Amino acid sequence: MTDKYVLKKDHLLPLLRKLGKSHRLIAPLRNRHGDTLFTEIDNLDKVRIDLDNQPQNSLKRFFFPQQEVLFTYNNPDPASYHFEPVEEESGPALYFGVRPCDLSAILYMDVVFLKDAKDPHYLHKRQNSILVGLNCNNPFANCFCNATRNGPFIDFGFDLQLTDLGDRFLVECDRSRGQEIISQWQQFFSAAGDKDVKAQYQAFLEARGKFRLQVHLDLAARKLADDQVPESVWEELSMRCQDCGGCAYICPTCTCFTIRDQPTSDNDGERIRGWDACTFSGFTLMAGDHNPVDRQMRGIEKRFRHKLQFDVKKDSRPSCVGCGRCVNICFGGTDIVRFINMTCCENT
Amino acid sequence: MAGLATTFGSGAMTNSINEIENAQVILVSGSNTSEAHPQVARRIFTAVDRGARLIVIDPRRTLMARRADIHLAIRPGTDIPLLNAMMRIILDESLADDLFIEMRTENFYGLRDMLFRIDLAETAALTGVDLASIRAAAQLYGRAQKAVICYCLGITQHVCGTGNVQSIANLAMMTGNVEKEDTGVDPLRGQNNVQGACDMGALPNVFPSYQQVDIDDYREKFERAWHVSLPAQPGLTLMEMTHGGKDGQLKAMFIMGENPMLSDPVIARVEETLDNLDFLMVADIFLTETARRAHVVLPAASFAEKTGTFTNSERRVQMVRRVIPPLGQSRTDADIIMDLSARLGYAMDYESPAEIMEEISMLAPIYGGMQHDRLENSWGMQWPCWDRSHGGTPFLHKYYFTRGKGRFIPVVHEPPAELPDDDYPFLLITGRIYHQYHTGTMSRQSALLSREAGEALLQLHPDDGLRLGVRSGNLVRMRSRRGEVQVKVQLTDAVKAGEVYTTFHFSEMPVNRLTISAKDHFSQCPEYKICAVHLAKV
Repeated sequence: MTDKYVLKKDHLLPLLRKLGKSHRLIAPLRNRHGDTLFTEIDNLDKVRIDLDNQPQNSLKRFFFPQQEVLFTYNNPDPASYHFEPVEEESGPALYFGVRPCDLSAILYMDVVFLKDAKDPHYLHKRQNSILVGLNCNNPFANCFCNATRNGPFIDFGFDLQLTDLGDRFLVECDRSRGQEIISQWQQFFSAAGDKDVKAQYQAFLEARGKFRLQVHLDLAARKLADDQVPESVWEELSMRCQDCGGCAYICPTCTCFTIRDQPTSDNDGERIRGWDACTFSGFTLMAGDHNPVDRQMRGIEKRFRHKLQFDVKKDSRPSCVGCGRCVNICFGGTDIVRFINMTCCENT
Repeated sequence: MAGLATTFGSGAMTNSINEIENAQVILVSGSNTSEAHPQVARRIFTAVDRGARLIVIDPRRTLMARRADIHLAIRPGTDIPLLNAMMRIILDESLADDLFIEMRTENFYGLRDMLFRIDLAETAALTGVDLASIRAAAQLYGRAQKAVICYCLGITQHVCGTGNVQSIANLAMMTGNVEKEDTGVDPLRGQNNVQGACDMGALPNVFPSYQQVDIDDYREKFERAWHVSLPAQPGLTLMEMTHGGKDGQLKAMFIMGENPMLSDPVIARVEETLDNLDFLMVADIFLTETARRAHVVLPAASFAEKTGTFTNSERRVQMVRRVIPPLGQSRTDADIIMDLSARLGYAMDYESPAEIMEEISMLAPIYGGMQHDRLENSWGMQWPCWDRSHGGTPFLHKYYFTRGKGRFIPVVHEPPAELPDDDYPFLLITGRIYHQYHTGTMSRQSALLSREAGEALLQLHPDDGLRLGVRSGNLVRMRSRRGEVQVKVQLTDAVKAGEVYTTFHFSEMPVNRLTISAKDHFSQCPEYKICAVHLAKV
């Protein structure tokens, strides 16, 4: 059982100001074009933190940048190479307003990047992060985290987790770094009472009833496991896929990357890790131009098998967190919800 | 441009892109939509989901053709006979919209007389498509209440490009499929701002807003605004400029964001022309094949470094905003032009792009009500937009065509300039692929895009592959009467036997060394889509 506290809404900004002295602050900000994005805050008084809309980006790029220089190299003469690791310089960062889906996605990335061989770049950023979450009282139009079972409320994995109770936040704490904040800034927090806990449960109950989409993700996962997805589903979706890679780029749990060497001069260069997408045909292209995957017929298959079949087998849970971003971004109509619906609607 | 201008009076998409979703029948002609215009393709997919029927006219079995209810795999360059056959069938089966023809059009009898003279079986034979399929397509299109025709460069890049477009216009007018929502004729533009460039008079014969240079009233209006005297003669077309050769009329050229050393036909001729200039200046964001030949290269700013507007296919003028200042020594196009002009003795003092837009809206009537403050917080506005109280125009020709009455212009088949023969037995079609853009100036900078498509491939039918003894991945030497390249083969039945297809994105395989400089008489657009080549295994 985690400890529970109350933070008055009026005190949120003063608290962030205190925390901002020792941490870079990243929060969902509404920009002047009307878009809400996770953005680093320059000046707390000049930004608009937006907790009413889903940030269009996830936190993926803050831990796993779209392009990341892993090391630089130079070879002054053909016989020798020198490698210079790129030192991580980013200091401690506090991420505020992290929804259960995005938090779950970070926990998933932890498995990918830290489980066996620890990726030093990811590790550095992760060790320097504090995650302050926000439960979702009002799931957004394309959300389905109820189906992926990591929302709309979450009770582990965060440093601090807030629930909006109107004039105040209920604050829960799961990790020691969250506890440290509470101890250091005691004046902001008071102990939660029974009515606060009850109000939180009521908010949870109501939130559960507010999902617009009905997504039978578990059924689709079972059909995948039993190999019962008809060929026609793969074909139809693959033919419609417009190959933009948007789903993978926007997805908080798509972590496939490609590595390339970028020369910066005749003798110098850098090795860059960049996001990749399994829907690209280059993802499976082999020497001699052989490609085991016909993109137009099966190009999208790997994406859904990975998220709903292989990861379920490996980690006992899908690696889709139900954030709905791919539903928003896909203009071919080949997002995961479409796949699940097509799969479940085919004769059972 | 010329085709729709002469029939409708305005050379742009008559619909909005979103309207395509609501059409009952969609006829796609000469457009590899899912690769070249994915945002249009998605609307076509949605329309098909909603029950729309899809007809595709294309020599190749493109992805769009594979999804079509009817695919008419015509012999390249026979669009006019095909469309004439469709119109004749529509006429014979009483599917023409007589009231629309009466109310909104002129010269129908000219078209009708021509159609009655053609022999249906002969005409169909020309196209290589069986008459039953043509009949089915004609019946489908002719019966639709809301039908859209999307066409692209497969229609225009022919010696008879203007005639092709006029035939499409004839078909639409004859069936009353224009002048209303979800219904019309939609040329798809291939670049983000090519519509805007035309609107702003980057054409030899017009000032902004298509006001002809040889009409005194228009010219005097611009002379008053700019305090200079302006030539009354139309300027040179692109091909006249880049194909002048040694005896070309031009002494100097300033090329902005264009790469004729890769994109224009008969590159050898372009090379000769450019090398004989006294002075060549190029402004571009990367050092292109053309820029390498320049005496002066000006580094230009990318879209993210400048503020202004782009005008897309559906005539929508949208703001683009500067996100970062121009990198290095690069400057925005406007800055380059203004500075150059000042040094040449004509001061252009504009404080901001917004001030330039104010001048545009004063001088270009179709942009009359478009100032930055109106465009800033919206998804843009569609011209014509006559004044600040006007909300823009989602579809064109409501109540009447721009030119008054729509004009039927009967056209008959004009064979391509060069067809295969014994020496050059294959027909080469050039086009684009999804992962690269135009001459690759920008898209080839992306490692990921290059991994997806990093070299040119020649699509060749497996039967031809067998005959030539080549397999996928083999190199062939491809030769035309104008030049030769080596290219890697991809065997696929997406092309018919005897026809081959490749792209012009890659400087390593400059296919425009082979293409022909024959061009449409009206629009001067080169026939990129057809030339005869010889193939041999390397």
